[in-house]
Amino acid sequence: MTKEYPKLPPEAFKHVHMDGSQTEKISKPSLNFWQDAWLRIRKNKAAVVSIFVLTFIVLMSLVGPMISPHDFETQEITHANLPPKVPGLEKIGIFDGTGKMGGKEINLYEMKNVDTYYWFGTDGLGRDMFSRVWKGTQISLLIALIAAVIDMVIGVAYGGISAYYGGRVDDAMQRVVEILYGIPTLVVVILMILVMDPGIMAIIIAISITGWIGMSRIVRGQVLKYKNQEFVLAARTLGASNGRIIKKHLLPNVMAIIIINTMFTIPSAIFFEAFLSFIGLGLQSPNASLGTLINDGYRLIQFQPHILAIPAAILSLLMIAFNLIGDGLRDALDPKMKD
Amino acid sequence: MAKYVFKRVIYMILTLFLIASFTFSLMKMLPGSPISTSSKLTPNQLAAVEAKYGLDKPLPVQYGIYMKNMVKLDFGTSFQFKEASVTELIINRAGPSFILGIQALILGTIGGIILGMIAALRQNTAWDYGSTLIAIFGISIPSFVFASLLQYWIGVKGGFLPVGLWENGWKSSILPTIALAMGPLATSARFIRTEMIEVLGTDYITLAKAKGASGIEIAFKHAFRNALIPLITVMGPLAAGLVTGSLVVEQIFAIPGIGEQFVKAINVSDYSVIMGTTMFFSVLLILVIFIVDILYGIVDPRIRLAGGNKQ
Amino acid sequence: MKKNKLVWLSSLILVLSIFLAACGGGDDKDASKDSDSKKDSGSPDATQELNIIESAEIPTMDSVLVTDVVGSTVLNNVNEGLYRYNEENVAVPAIATGEPEVNKEGTVYTFKLRDSKWSDGSTVTANDFEYAWKRAIEPKTGSEYGPYMMAGIIKNATEIGKGKAKASDLGVKALDDKTLEVTLEKPTPYFLSLMAFSTFLPQKEEFVKEQGKKYASNSETTLYNGPFVLKGWDGTGLKWQYVKNDNYWDKDNVKLDKINVDVVKEDQTAINLYTSGKKDRAGLSGEFAMQYANDPEVLKVVESSPFYLKFNQKREGKEETVLANANIRKAISMAFNKEDLSKAVLANGSFEANYLVPAEFAYDEDGKDFREVNGNMNKFNAEEAKTYWEKGLKELGTDKVALEFLGGDSDLSKKMDEYLKNQLEKNLPGLSIKLKEVPFLVRVDLDSKQDYDIQFAGWSPDFQDPYTFLNLWLTDGQQNKMSYSSAKYDKFMKDAETTFANDPAKRWQALADAEKVLIEEDAAIAPVYQRGTMALQKTYVKDLVKHSFGAQYSYKWAYISGKE
Repeated sequence: MTKEYPKLPPEAFKHVHMDGSQTEKISKPSLNFWQDAWLRIRKNKAAVVSIFVLTFIVLMSLVGPMISPHDFETQEITHANLPPKVPGLEKIGIFDGTGKMGGKEINLYEMKNVDTYYWFGTDGLGRDMFSRVWKGTQISLLIALIAAVIDMVIGVAYGGISAYYGGRVDDAMQRVVEILYGIPTLVVVILMILVMDPGIMAIIIAISITGWIGMSRIVRGQVLKYKNQEFVLAARTLGASNGRIIKKHLLPNVMAIIIINTMFTIPSAIFFEAFLSFIGLGLQSPNASLGTLINDGYRLIQFQPHILAIPAAILSLLMIAFNLIGDGLRDALDPKMKD
Repeated sequence: MAKYVFKRVIYMILTLFLIASFTFSLMKMLPGSPISTSSKLTPNQLAAVEAKYGLDKPLPVQYGIYMKNMVKLDFGTSFQFKEASVTELIINRAGPSFILGIQALILGTIGGIILGMIAALRQNTAWDYGSTLIAIFGISIPSFVFASLLQYWIGVKGGFLPVGLWENGWKSSILPTIALAMGPLATSARFIRTEMIEVLGTDYITLAKAKGASGIEIAFKHAFRNALIPLITVMGPLAAGLVTGSLVVEQIFAIPGIGEQFVKAINVSDYSVIMGTTMFFSVLLILVIFIVDILYGIVDPRIRLAGGNKQ
Repeated sequence: MKKNKLVWLSSLILVLSIFLAACGGGDDKDASKDSDSKKDSGSPDATQELNIIESAEIPTMDSVLVTDVVGSTVLNNVNEGLYRYNEENVAVPAIATGEPEVNKEGTVYTFKLRDSKWSDGSTVTANDFEYAWKRAIEPKTGSEYGPYMMAGIIKNATEIGKGKAKASDLGVKALDDKTLEVTLEKPTPYFLSLMAFSTFLPQKEEFVKEQGKKYASNSETTLYNGPFVLKGWDGTGLKWQYVKNDNYWDKDNVKLDKINVDVVKEDQTAINLYTSGKKDRAGLSGEFAMQYANDPEVLKVVESSPFYLKFNQKREGKEETVLANANIRKAISMAFNKEDLSKAVLANGSFEANYLVPAEFAYDEDGKDFREVNGNMNKFNAEEAKTYWEKGLKELGTDKVALEFLGGDSDLSKKMDEYLKNQLEKNLPGLSIKLKEVPFLVRVDLDSKQDYDIQFAGWSPDFQDPYTFLNLWLTDGQQNKMSYSSAKYDKFMKDAETTFANDPAKRWQALADAEKVLIEEDAAIAPVYQRGTMALQKTYVKDLVKHSFGAQYSYKWAYISGKE
């Protein structure tokens, strides 16, 4: 059987010259750690959406209290417990200010002669929920962020030192962790808050007092894994100082897992703050956090659902966003997952 | 193994000792004394009451007595309930908490395993997203919100389950168990999903497939068993999470459990009850961690318990 | 693994919106549900069982140790003293057969006891009273109310409290099984109203000694002589029952056979239990009260507890605060809208108070309310407040004042404190308030150290006389704790206590004058509101008596009619 092949021009058979100096050249532009991570996380749609949601919430928590015509602290007692009313949307029958009173559906804005709009309604003292919710988000995020950073710093330092120096140092430090690990976090936090003056600082300290243990364990595991690998040994043989090895070789490798872990610490700190509010150890008024707002609202589920629903929705969105970004980052930063 | 267990027991005792000392000193730092409500007491009455609780002695002596009694499982007398021993109080209240805790743990892990398996085996289908959704909800709605939603919609509106209280036996425990199980359910579902996906990608699964094993056989006989082992490691944190949850759930469903009493003790600064309950929770948690470690050694022979670095 | 998460993210939002919509759903069932229960008080049903909720556990059933509302309420229903508060909140003879004989000076009371039995069948004797009272005054017992209620009233009580006399010297004596003689320190017009207080209940000596430490620590180790006996109380639990006491002398008037009590601490849970028909009564607070305001099942009760701001004039008893300036105090006391506070913020049946001694509490011999003497003082008036404020600031030579406001940590008190802070800062330019919200015990501790500037506090009466409120602010008063001292005030109070002890009309006026000095002239405290409570109660529950102070309820006369 013969087959007709297209006739190739003779030029196609020209000899290609192999340039020995070019064989090692990488044609793809060199990407650093972060660019690489970004490239990969970009493919994860859930994570990307989460990043947008998170950015939006963070932005709103900063500007939200400012764009509302009402201040988060000002009380207008005659405007108490109003449901949400949004210009525009009211015409299509949602957020039009109707709520229940004594089992009947009525327009509370008309009943109370209120001619202004409260986008998220008002609370029991007639404060604007819109600015309160964003203010609360801001404080919740702040608490969580600081707690996470403290966790990170202590945990990384502790775990890193323990693993890097090894031997007796490691042994002693791990015994301490083993003992601390057995302490029920919740109880310690409650006791700490009872002792300290309640407030943002107390909550942050209480949350981070045992929070770093998890981080330190993870970092220790990672450092142990890397510190005897060939590239570290090579660096050491070439006379690199401990500082250089940690900074240039170990830290970049451990970085991924630190960031991922932080992504999960932040939401659990937010959550814990909400829990503290429930048992009455949360923030002092008039400060608001998502936790205190939800705590104020959950009792009123049947009557003023908006007081609970909006902060609860934002809390849920935050939790979901952080978790998905964490998941996404884990996939993106984990070399095993490279595709 | 015996040496390892012995070592662990020593650490456990050391941990408990530290927790006890820590709690004791925190309690002494607390503002307000449990008998300061008794502002109506005359000075010599106050002295008599302080003597009764041993508060008249110097701190180191109080500490010594407290530690000595604790060894005998005597946590002193409650301040809010006159003449009620804290140990008795905890025993009286432990029943409902244990029932709820164990039911929630079983429901949570089994439910979580099922959800996680479905998600892993039907990866990237509606099943996967559905079960991940439930799992994420489990960790993103505060338990007190979830509990009060359950109470209102199923208890009051639906009317087929008790709204609260602890009197219809098993029926009373359903709603609180569900509320409490959401945490463990979410955690184990996510955990199983990740593990399963990882195991399903390993060579021996490919080999099993190549040998012609059916999908179900692979899922249960090969993958599931290997994915289950790491789940044991999260049991410790899960149990700790249940303690947190019980404070909330027992309060909302008005269940006479330890958590409910702990919240009350915090609110009325009943030191002896706070200290006793703290110790009780700590012992529980330490035991769970210990059992998990032992179990882990048994189910996974790769882990050497005796000596060596545990990473 | 990472593909298409968008899909489920949007499904998530869908579920979320369902969840939100679910929350907003109608409450339509409630309105029609109970319309059939509105039959007028007919004959009692065959099943006489009441289901109620308490807000806290019973700390103790020992009548000499009890200090809280729940304990007092239970004791009021399972025990009976010489007197008992009736349906109209008047103390009437109970175990006492009638009014006692009183000597001419008004210092010796002789009570005759009726034939009545303990739940174990033994007779209630005068010795049971003597024993219980002496046990209460004995310092070793550690009774809070024993010395507090008896000191200055019953002979030798003050000395015993100081350790200068023995408990056996107390002025109470069983002349025989049926006669009790009480000797007072000085004539005390309100002595009989004390006899209904739980500290003065009888205790059977033999039984108390036999039980030792276990006495009154659970339902089996307690003895009863009242309308009901307690069952199923394990000492620390969240439930107990009252069962009709067949040994009670007046059992024919007790209609209920059984009362089931559960402790529920979450208001929302209580209301859910009520709505689902599990419970016959539930307390209403804050927003709940507002929602049910027009419900036919709502009951409003006025309580005899005033709430007020305490102005600390000397921090920790040493350094003078700006609140030592009378104009500043007056300014603050007039600078907040009490009506809005009680109607809109509290909205639980409480109402504004411009006085200390509460309304509907104490009446003179003609039945006239004590309130009619002084009426309202220091009403809310923003302009006047500002005038006083500027005057005060000028005297102090400053234009900025920062004050610490000590309040409770319950949801309601937090809300109220926020409102007060807002009002004060708005109406008094230059004032800044720092809220400090702490648990009750901590507040009591800070109060006793005088470590605060302004404190939100309240007081519930111990007996039915204005004196129970006014003696708080005597210069050496145990509860003063704010360095208020007025010779004029002390003089009026002294007159009321001694000179006019047997002259009701003059005594009344002296007490009223003292109140005027305290509130209007000195503005030592700033009254805020008088507490009222609201509760949902099924209409088939009849004659459940709510008291305005002391024990909260009497179930003795209650019955069920029209439930079936």
